[in-house]
Amino acid sequence: MSPSWKDNHTLFLSVVGVLAWLIPGAGHFALNERRRAYVIFVTVVVMFFAGLYIGSVGVIDPVGAKPWYAAQMMNSPAVFFLGRISTGGDYLVFGRSNEIGQIYTSIAGLLNLLCIVNAVYMAHLQVIEQEEA
Amino acid sequence: MNALNLALLASFTAPMQIDTTPAAMLWLLPLVVGIAVVYKATKVSSIRPIPFAKETGVLIGSILVFITAAALILYGVAWFVNEHLPSLLGRPGF
Repeated sequence: MSPSWKDNHTLFLSVVGVLAWLIPGAGHFALNERRRAYVIFVTVVVMFFAGLYIGSVGVIDPVGAKPWYAAQMMNSPAVFFLGRISTGGDYLVFGRSNEIGQIYTSIAGLLNLLCIVNAVYMAHLQVIEQEEA
Repeated sequence: MNALNLALLASFTAPMQIDTTPAAMLWLLPLVVGIAVVYKATKVSSIRPIPFAKETGVLIGSILVFITAAALILYGVAWFVNEHLPSLLGRPGF
């Protein structure tokens, strides 16, 4: 295994991982797994926006709910900007709406984390197959 | 920005009214569907609509059955602890 091959391999896996984080499903899309990418994109995005609709943008709370925010950040870096909007305290939300909204947005993030790991693993398998062929 | 876009944005700035009732547990169902779909999307070798829907349906059913079983067991434990345990221990209820 030459150092250059290892470097390219690492770079390829990193690019796939970052793509999958930037846009849900984009990692699989880059690997020509189009159907898988569409299913992941639609499901994660719908679940995330359902959470925002249920609890409002206030469910993304980087100050008072850090563990939830960490899970929400797995959806996309765009969550960071939503967090900055809600940090001002203009969108406070409490009670059941807050709980359900946080659960939806956080589960969407954790599912996207699963998809990121899966995309990187599939990319790794593709590289291995190419090397063996 | 037109009125439709403004109304759409505004709907994400105010929370829905969800009461603390047993009916609120129904919000679990779309969550289970989403979890099952994404999990199966990462597990199956290729995505073909009918087998994929079938496998996802089985997973959704399994999750719901186990959640229901867990809820019934916990309800039974809570009922036993509240109704029978105090008399068995000879103490007033919790």
